[in-house]
Amino acid sequence: MTVDTLFSWLGSLIPAMEGSGTLLVIAILIPCLVLFLVVAVNAIIMVYAERKVAAFMQDRVGPMGQGVGLHAGKWGVLQTVADALKLLSKEDIIPEKADKFLFILAPFVIFIGAFVAIIAVPFGETVIVADFNIGIFYILGVGSLGVIGLILAGWSSNNKWSLYGGMRSAAQIVSYEIPAGLSIIVVIMLTSTLSMQGIIEYQSGGMGNWIIFANPFTFIAFFIFFISILAETNRTPFDIPEAESELVGGFHTEYSGMRWSFFFLSEYANMLVVSAVAATGFLGGWHSPFPGYFDSNGWSVFWMLSKIVFLIFIMMWFRWTFPRLRVDQLMNICWKVLLPISLINIFGVGFWTLIFG
Amino acid sequence: MSPDQEKLIAELVEKGLSGDMDPINAIEDRVLRSKAKSALAKAKRASKAEAASAPVEEKSTEENDTDTTPSDHPNQKFGKMIHNKFPNSLDAELNDTHIQLKPDDWFEIASWLKSEPSLHFDSLQCHTGMDVGENMLEARYNLHSMTHDHKIEIRIAVSRDKANIPSIEQIWRIGDWFERETYDMFGIFFDGHRDHRRMLLPEDWEGYPLRKDYVVQETYHGIIIPKVKEGWE
Amino acid sequence: MGVIHGEEMVLNIGPQHPSTHGVLRLKVKTDGEIISEITPVIGYLHRCFEKHCENMTYDQVIPYTDRCDYLAAMANNFGYVVAVEELMELKVPEKVEYIRVIMAEFQRIASHLLALGVYGLDIGAFTPFLFMLRDRERILDMFEMTCGARLLYNYMWIGGVSHDLPKGFVETAFQFLDYFEPQIEEYNELLTYNKIFIERTADIGVLPPDVAISYGVSGPNLRASGVKWDLRRNAPYSIYNKFEFDVCIGEGGKGTLGDCWDRYYVRMLEVKESVKILRQALAQIPKEGDVHQALPKKIRPPKGSIYSRTETPRGDLGFYIVSDGSPIPTRVKMRSPAFTALSVLGELAGGWMMSDVISILGSLDIVLGEIDR
Repeated sequence: MTVDTLFSWLGSLIPAMEGSGTLLVIAILIPCLVLFLVVAVNAIIMVYAERKVAAFMQDRVGPMGQGVGLHAGKWGVLQTVADALKLLSKEDIIPEKADKFLFILAPFVIFIGAFVAIIAVPFGETVIVADFNIGIFYILGVGSLGVIGLILAGWSSNNKWSLYGGMRSAAQIVSYEIPAGLSIIVVIMLTSTLSMQGIIEYQSGGMGNWIIFANPFTFIAFFIFFISILAETNRTPFDIPEAESELVGGFHTEYSGMRWSFFFLSEYANMLVVSAVAATGFLGGWHSPFPGYFDSNGWSVFWMLSKIVFLIFIMMWFRWTFPRLRVDQLMNICWKVLLPISLINIFGVGFWTLIFG
Repeated sequence: MSPDQEKLIAELVEKGLSGDMDPINAIEDRVLRSKAKSALAKAKRASKAEAASAPVEEKSTEENDTDTTPSDHPNQKFGKMIHNKFPNSLDAELNDTHIQLKPDDWFEIASWLKSEPSLHFDSLQCHTGMDVGENMLEARYNLHSMTHDHKIEIRIAVSRDKANIPSIEQIWRIGDWFERETYDMFGIFFDGHRDHRRMLLPEDWEGYPLRKDYVVQETYHGIIIPKVKEGWE
Repeated sequence: MGVIHGEEMVLNIGPQHPSTHGVLRLKVKTDGEIISEITPVIGYLHRCFEKHCENMTYDQVIPYTDRCDYLAAMANNFGYVVAVEELMELKVPEKVEYIRVIMAEFQRIASHLLALGVYGLDIGAFTPFLFMLRDRERILDMFEMTCGARLLYNYMWIGGVSHDLPKGFVETAFQFLDYFEPQIEEYNELLTYNKIFIERTADIGVLPPDVAISYGVSGPNLRASGVKWDLRRNAPYSIYNKFEFDVCIGEGGKGTLGDCWDRYYVRMLEVKESVKILRQALAQIPKEGDVHQALPKKIRPPKGSIYSRTETPRGDLGFYIVSDGSPIPTRVKMRSPAFTALSVLGELAGGWMMSDVISILGSLDIVLGEIDR
C-alpha cells in the first residue's frame, strides 16, 4: 500500500518526525500529485492516440508536424501539448445569465469523481495508492459522482442545449450503473472479495483462470459490463448527452478554455478507470496471460497497462465506426435487454458455482 | 429624421440631379450622407421610369397579340375547358403561352383543376409573381399533372391598389411557401392563406423587392444599407 | 402507456447549429424530447438572386446560379443554360451535350456522396463521411482539371461550355469509375446496413407519395416515396434519352415506404445509375468538334417566357425566365427543389423526437443557398 509505504519510508528518512501528522499529509499529497500527473499525461496521450486512431481508420494522416520552425513535432506528437497550451491561454468566458457558482463548480465535481476513483486502481502488483477492502465498490461509488457534475453543468449554463445534455446524461448514466453493477456482482460472487488486489489474486495462473473465461455467464457479464461502461463514459454509440449533431455540445456547450478541458481530462480519466475496472474484474488485472512467464513486478505494470490500452482502443474503434443511438433506444437497451440478462447472469453464476464449483 | 435634415437632403438632391455631387460628399455625418445619396438615387430612378413607361405599353399589347389562333396546345385546350366550366373567368383571349384568368373564381377553378379526373393537375410546379408595368402585378402558376403528363401556365393579373388573389395553399400544399414568397417579393396578398407572413425577408422589411420600382430602404434597425452602384451592366 | 405532459418549451435549432446544413433556423416546440410543432424559418442566406438577374445579361447570370446550390453547381449551370437555350430555340453541338451530361452526372455523384456522408454525420457516424469526401475529392479534381474550379464552376455557357475536355480526361474518368464502383459496397457495409443506422432511420419521417406530390417534393425524396418520376426519363432534356439507366425508387427495404432510410438508400442507388450513364457517355463522346456555338456577343432571346425543368441531384430545378427581347432578362425565377423539400419538414417532423428531427432534416438533403437564393 503506497501511502503506508511512503509514510514509513519518510519516517525512516527523517527520524525526528517519525509518526507525526505532517509526514502523513505529505505521504498523502505525494501520490495525489503523481496521480494528477498520471491523469494529465493520460489525457494528452489519449487525445493524441484518439486522433491518430481516428485518422488511420478514416484514411487520413492525422496531426503531423510541418517543416522547420514552431510546429507540433514529428508525426504531430506535440499536437495535444500545443492544444493544452492553447486551452490554458484562452479567455475564461462565463455566460452572463449563467449561475456562476455552479458553473465554475461543475467541471471540478466531474473531475473529482474521475480523479478520486484512480486511487483504488491497481496498476501493478505493488503500484496502488490505496487498496481498500471495498475497492471495487468504492470505484463504482465515486465514479457516479461525475453525473452530479454533468447535471450541474447542464443546469447552470442556462442554455437549453446544455439542459438537454445534462438531463440525457443523468438518465443515461444512472440507468447504466445498474447493469454495470450487476455484472460486477458476478465477479464478486466468484472472488468473495471487494478488494481490487483480492480480485486480481483470484485470477492468478494464466488466461484460463481469468474471470471472463470462468464460465459462460461471466463471459456474457464482461460484454454487458463493457457496453455499460461505454454508456457511462458517454462514448459512441452512447454519446447522446453531447451528441454534437443534435445538441451542439450537450452539457459543455457553454464551456470554453480550461474549464472545457476539464471535461476532457475527466472523460479520459473516466475511460482509464472503467477500463482498469474491466481489466481487473474480468481480464486478470496485472497478471500475465502466460502462467510463470513475464510475471515479475515490472511486467505486472506492463500487463495492466496493455489491457487498459487494449480496452480503450476498442472504445475508440467503436467511436469511429458506429452511429449514435437515440435516447429512447438507449433506455430500451438498458432496461429491457441488459438488465434482464445481467439478472439471469447472477443466477447462472450462482448455479454454476453450486454445480461445478 | 428631423425636418431640418429633410430640407437639407432635398436641397442636396436638387444639386445632385444637376450633376453637382460635391456638397453631398462633403457631409460629415455618415448616416445623413447615405440618406442623401439614396434619396438622390430614388429621384434619378423615378425620372428614368417616367421616360421608360411609354415603351412598356407597346410590349404588353404585342405579347398578347401573338398566337391567338386556336390550336391543340394544352393552354388552348384546357383554357377552353375552364371557359366552359366557369364562364366569365377568362381575362383575355386564349393563346399558346398561357391562360389568363380573373382572380375572382381562382380558388374554385384550382380545386376543379386538381380534382377533375381528366385534368388532374396534382403538382404545382412553380408559382411566382411578375411586375408587368402599368400598375399591374401578375401571379403566374405552372401546373403539371404527373398522371397525364400535361402542363399549363395560368396568369392572374391584379392591380397594385387591390392586389388580392385567392390563396390555393390548401389545394397544393407547396402553395403555402410559394405564395408567401410571392407576397414577400411582390406584395400580392393571398386571401385565405393560413400563415400569411413574409418568407425570406424579415417581417419588418419595407417594400417589395422584385417590383420594378422598388427602392431599398435606407436604414434597417440603425444599419445603413449599402447602395448598389448605378449601371451594373 | 401513460404520457406525462410537462410545460412546452420553444427551442431554436439554428441559425448556427451543426446539423442545419447551413443557416437554417427551426423553431421547435418541445415537450421534453418529443417535438410537437416545427416551423422552419429561412432567409438568412438570401442574396437577392432574382433581383440581381434583372440587372445583368443572360450569360452574367450563370455564375450566380453556381452560388445557389453550391454543392451541385454544375447541375444548376445546366438547368439555367437549358432554359435559356430552350427560350432561344438553340441547338448545341452533340459534343457539348455529351460533356454536359458527363459533368452533370459526376456532379450528381459528388453531391450525393456529400449528402450521404453528411447524413451519416447527422446520425453520429463520422468515418463514412470522410470516406465519401475522399472519393468526392477525386471528382472535384477532375472538375479542376476541366475548368480550373473546384466548387463554383461557371463551366456551362449558353450555347456551349467554357473549355473542351482536357487531354486524358476520359482515361482519368474511367480510372475513377473503376476505383469507385467497389467503394459503394464499402459504404453499404459501413453505414447502410449498420444495425444502429437502420434503427435510427427506418420507419422515421414517413412521407406518403400524395403528400410528397402536393408539397412539390421532387428528385430522390419523391422517388423514395415510391413515385417513379425522373425528368431524365419522363421528360428527357439534353441527350438523356440516349442512355440506359434505371429510375431507382424506394421500396421500404428496412421499414415503411418513404422513410428516412429509403431516402438515403435511393441516393445510394442513384450513384450506381450515374456510374452507368457515365460509362456510356464517356465511351460514346465524339472526339472532334467545337464546344461553343457561335453566338452574338449580347444574347437576345426572343420575346416570351419559358418554364424549363431539369433533374439536379436534389430534384426538379425549374427556371422561369421572361424575356422582353433585350439582353437583360425581365424576370428569372428559380424554382428550387430544396425549397419545396424543406417546406414538407413541418408536416413530416411533428411528433417525433429531437434526434429524429435531425435525422429527417438530413434525409431531405437541403442546401440553404438554394432555398434562400
